[in-house]
Amino acid sequence: MTADSCGSSPAPSPDTVNRIRRVFIEALRLNIHLENLAYADTLDEAAGLDSVAILEFVLALEKEFAVVIEPQFLQFDFLRDLSRLASYIEERAIPGRSPS
Amino acid sequence: MSVGPPVSPSAPLLTVNDVFLWLYLYPVRFLSLFLHRDLLYTIGRVGEIFAQPCSRRWKRIVVDRMLAADSGISRTDAPRLARQLVSNGIYHRLDDLVLSRSGAGHRLRCVGAAGLEHLEAAKAAGKGVIVLSGHFFASRLGNRYLATIGHPVLTVRHRSPSHVRAGRLGRRLLRPRIDELLHRVIQDEVSAHDRGCTLKILQRLRSGGLVDIHFDGRAGARPFQWPLMGIPRRFSSGIFDLVRLSECAVVPMLCVGRSTGFRIVFSPRLQLVMTATRDEFVAVNLATFVRVLEEQVQNNPEQWTLWDQP
Repeated sequence: MTADSCGSSPAPSPDTVNRIRRVFIEALRLNIHLENLAYADTLDEAAGLDSVAILEFVLALEKEFAVVIEPQFLQFDFLRDLSRLASYIEERAIPGRSPS
Repeated sequence: MSVGPPVSPSAPLLTVNDVFLWLYLYPVRFLSLFLHRDLLYTIGRVGEIFAQPCSRRWKRIVVDRMLAADSGISRTDAPRLARQLVSNGIYHRLDDLVLSRSGAGHRLRCVGAAGLEHLEAAKAAGKGVIVLSGHFFASRLGNRYLATIGHPVLTVRHRSPSHVRAGRLGRRLLRPRIDELLHRVIQDEVSAHDRGCTLKILQRLRSGGLVDIHFDGRAGARPFQWPLMGIPRRFSSGIFDLVRLSECAVVPMLCVGRSTGFRIVFSPRLQLVMTATRDEFVAVNLATFVRVLEEQVQNNPEQWTLWDQP
């Protein structure tokens, strides 16, 4: 499967989406409330300033959900699409793992 | 994506450097499609007759920098090395034309590849390898050659090379053409300005592949200063973040020579100290990285392309 073909799964749960958003805020050390986060725009901005921050976000996501993102999914546009990213993680996350 | 520094209105419209660049990008490049490499090198020898006197000021700067640095270069050797740098620069550009032809990788003549076992052992560890190198004339030859023997290398490159000697026309019209040419030469590359740059690097490393980073390249957003041959120099912190976060191996590589005969030397994998934080990691390991580069430059001063850049 490739990053382009991934995303046909059912819509992800709001819980997963919010966990990703929370990890994003923590990994990038943003001073912002979860409900005020414009995820895609902030990701664009962060990547423009410091692309290592994106790497830190990916590794934090992997730790949070106990998944390893396969190399073909390590693409900026894939990460930017929160819905596809959340679906991908739900498909691979260990069932029953509680948020840390 | 960044397109380099803005064009200063005080810069001259056209410089001698622009004329050389135009000749290189159009007539010489066109001829290179048909000419045998030996004939291309003959053009290089003719070009050198004009380039050496035109580079007098540049050579003076280089000589001053060589003598100011703890490079082990004597006052009598420095001018000779500066002339050699001009000459090597010309053949380096001609080799780029050779590399830009299709199937060029198989026409390269590697006269020696030492330490490949270090590279293979590091790859076998399974977390990918950062090939630590510097701005040496033959680095591109080395990477293209490695791809032909089953070790494709992703090169991290800053687009828009130095504009210092370019006029306004050169910056606007010729530098973008140079970037296009370099893309054809390097082929397997990612721009350091690409917002997904680190992801592409991680992608390659996690696939067990190789990523070439010139450690002496342009310092990024969070640089560190450390003496290189006794002179303070800014180094990018990006490579340290990548190594720390991906836990990949780091293997130094040096490639010297021309497309008609070059050699590659891999050194043993660097023994790095893993630490809890980024700053600690840099503090503990920076000297190891710099020492590698320093030895490479001191042993091959006529091959290092950044003498003129502080």
